Amino acid sequence: MANVPRKASRRDFLKVGSASLIGLSVGALFPGGKWLDNKIYAIPASGGYLLVDTKKCAGCLSCMLACSLAHEGKENLSLSRIQIMQDSFAGFPNDITMSQCRQCAYPPCVEACPTKALHADEDNENARSVDIGKCIGCQRCVEACPYDSGRVVWNHIDKHSQKCDLCANTPFWEEQGGVNGKKACIAICPMRAITFTNEIPEQNDRGYNVNLRKTAAWKRLGLPSN
Amino acid sequence: MKGFMGKILRIDLTNRSISTIDTKQYEQWGGGHGMGSAIFWDLCKDKGIKAFDPGNVVTVMTSPLSGTLTPSASSRTEIQGIGPQSWPYEWFTRSNVGGRFSAMLKFAGWDGVVVEGKASEPVWIDIRNHKVEIKDANGLWGLDAYEAQQEIWSEVNDGENYGTWNQVGTGRDGGRSTQRPAVLTIGQAGENLARNAVIMHDAGNAAGQGGLGGVWGSKNLKAISVIGTGSVEVADPNALLQARIWLHEGYHYNVDEPIHESPVDNMPVYGTITRSPGYATLYIPYTEPSRAKGCTGCYNNCRRKTSSGYSNEASCVESLFYMTEKMEDTHKATDLLQRYGINVYDIMQHGYLRDLYMRGIIGPGKQIHSDLPFEKYGELEFAEALTKAIAFREDIGADLAEGMPRAIEKWGLLDDMNKGLVTFPNWGYFEHYDPRLEIEWSYGSILGDRDINEHDLNWLVHWMPLVCDAVGQEPIVSAQRVAEQISSKLVIYNDPMMLDYSEEGIYSDAKVKMVSWHRHYTRYFKQSMLFCDWAWPNFLSVNNPEMKGFTPEGEPKFLNAVMGTNMTFEEGMEIGRKIWNLDRAIWIMQGRHRDQEVFNDYVYDVPTSAPYHLPIFKDGQWSFDVNLGRTLDRDKFEDWKSKYYTHEGWDPSSGWPKRSTLEGIGLGYVADELAKNGKLGRE
Repeated sequence: MANVPRKASRRDFLKVGSASLIGLSVGALFPGGKWLDNKIYAIPASGGYLLVDTKKCAGCLSCMLACSLAHEGKENLSLSRIQIMQDSFAGFPNDITMSQCRQCAYPPCVEACPTKALHADEDNENARSVDIGKCIGCQRCVEACPYDSGRVVWNHIDKHSQKCDLCANTPFWEEQGGVNGKKACIAICPMRAITFTNEIPEQNDRGYNVNLRKTAAWKRLGLPSN
Repeated sequence: MKGFMGKILRIDLTNRSISTIDTKQYEQWGGGHGMGSAIFWDLCKDKGIKAFDPGNVVTVMTSPLSGTLTPSASSRTEIQGIGPQSWPYEWFTRSNVGGRFSAMLKFAGWDGVVVEGKASEPVWIDIRNHKVEIKDANGLWGLDAYEAQQEIWSEVNDGENYGTWNQVGTGRDGGRSTQRPAVLTIGQAGENLARNAVIMHDAGNAAGQGGLGGVWGSKNLKAISVIGTGSVEVADPNALLQARIWLHEGYHYNVDEPIHESPVDNMPVYGTITRSPGYATLYIPYTEPSRAKGCTGCYNNCRRKTSSGYSNEASCVESLFYMTEKMEDTHKATDLLQRYGINVYDIMQHGYLRDLYMRGIIGPGKQIHSDLPFEKYGELEFAEALTKAIAFREDIGADLAEGMPRAIEKWGLLDDMNKGLVTFPNWGYFEHYDPRLEIEWSYGSILGDRDINEHDLNWLVHWMPLVCDAVGQEPIVSAQRVAEQISSKLVIYNDPMMLDYSEEGIYSDAKVKMVSWHRHYTRYFKQSMLFCDWAWPNFLSVNNPEMKGFTPEGEPKFLNAVMGTNMTFEEGMEIGRKIWNLDRAIWIMQGRHRDQEVFNDYVYDVPTSAPYHLPIFKDGQWSFDVNLGRTLDRDKFEDWKSKYYTHEGWDPSSGWPKRSTLEGIGLGYVADELAKNGKLGRE
């Protein structure tokens, strides 16, 4: 299965349809009560997805440092493809937000790219990726991402867009990454607050923000597991 | 050498001038403390000045590891200068603070900030990448440390919301960030020149010891804010990533499947053994939904954040400042300290104030007049009144803002201190651990400038048997193994007797080596490379079946991956020795002599009366003893000092370094200055 392009299954599609996409209402998905447009099927589903548990995150930013290091060979929070935002004075759990690329079933960033630099990478089970050689720096993909913070990162140093490729292209890390390989953020997170699935999640927060705190050991620490 | 940004920001507040220092000329010192001391030596021309003199030079330094994936070494900030807290002398001192600041300063392109002079009006420093401005702080002055940070966050981002990408500076080439600026600030205590004022960062990080918050107040400096979008270069990214994974797999507390965990649920203090997340509040269990919280790059994440937001990020003694029946009030009292910016260690013994009240010495119309609500002691109302009084120098707070030892001296109650009714064993600093017993801590403190606050041995020799005892366990590591395994890592000495805390052991030649190792290790690895005190060194970890520890392998593994050097552990220790000698020279220029390096009387005269776990070697056997009835012997300690000075290459008659010692470590210019002032040790 490693390199076989994966189309969205009917089951996956129903998950998509079960919730509204942020930035895309259900109405937009079902214009006039019709079935989804064929172009959605033209962008095959990603073979994998990062899931996070924002209640488990400790805000250490280690995932950001690992992401930047593995991809760029240097440390730079602004170049990390996963972003952790926090407010020291706010109360749990609203004090931390984890922003990872959702590898959207219907990716506005891919749609927005005029040069197809942002594409579903067939060599990496269709993870949405940037072909830097084709990127003209128009930033339409950056603007198209409907989430706050946007998951397409503008590399202000090398002047191109970049985004989470599930570590398929990490020239500064010797591990084999990608959908079927290791991901730096998962490997580094000391709280085990990031995980991975091949199943397309529900296209809402609940689908991507999961509970990874169900172990007996976690409960014994006195930290909340619900 | 990778890891450095290449320039240090130099700000003269008197002239409101901004310039840079080339980092290269100070790279030999590692970073952090070493660089700070070297810069202080060069820029503070009259080292005999008082802390609040405008000539005092304050350094705020990062390390080559700041902003990198190096575990628990990515974001501590070392702050130095002449401190007003130590008593009776205002020594050149240090304090370091966790959180996000040093990483963000690096991302903005700076290895440190040096502050000189005094502004004519309150100011704050706004750093956005390479753009630096000294700004009017009249709108910030009077705000508490939380309010000031939030006001600056709003100002830096034009009042916009965070939680999205924001442009840093003008033009898209400046880059974007989702992060809030990292801000160091003082509260009202610092503004009012309290000697026990801290420099705060985020909710629960403070450069607390030394009173450097008061020094900022004396300079009319409210805050330094930084936001950066630049890069920290790493020599070998793959080696750094793999080293971090090596540490996780071998030594890290696995939150889902720990190898060893507390036998009692929701017992953070057991984390002193396991390093489970959120353990920093020690005796305070989770009482409300919370998360563990870590500084940038941490792998332990010892702090916590609560659903109420009270006491966010607080750790250790600041969490335990005011234990009440209502946990919410305990948390609120801690927040008062953080907001006003008061050093908890200096007023931790507020129970002594209550004793004075009960003795009829403090109160309305008493010898020490006070209208504080002592009848409400134990309730939040008293903590509110006490902290406010200190921050604004009201009531007895006017005296307590001078630091509790100076207040006690003014009140004519030094006899209480000498009897141990209130405990300040060295330089007017709070008794952190028993100075009669845990002596690498107390000896290190009296040979330096403050309570050292270095837990290297302390976790294993004291906390481990204490906590095991508390939960009804035998020590999970025997005293013999503690001595043998720790000493195997005390390169280059490797003598198990260095861990002997018996009545004989604390004056031994082995203890000379122990204290010397400790001073050199912490000066370089911990305070200059800025490895966190609560994570490094690692002599033994219960998170692997063999209980291996990653020291001394881990330190050079990480710093070489970042810097691209081939430095050995031993070479790091030598730089530590050099820094320790430079600090010694600064103190000598301030007037230091061996005759001053003595403890408060109670340390010598009042026997220990509570069980205190430490390993001892007796009759050929190692065991953990509770060490009751122990005092420090004056003559034996003086003899030990002579041995220690000799070991360091210092003149035992004065405690001053010899020229041959200083020249041997590249400090000939320091020897020249000491000689010029008649303060060089005799050969």
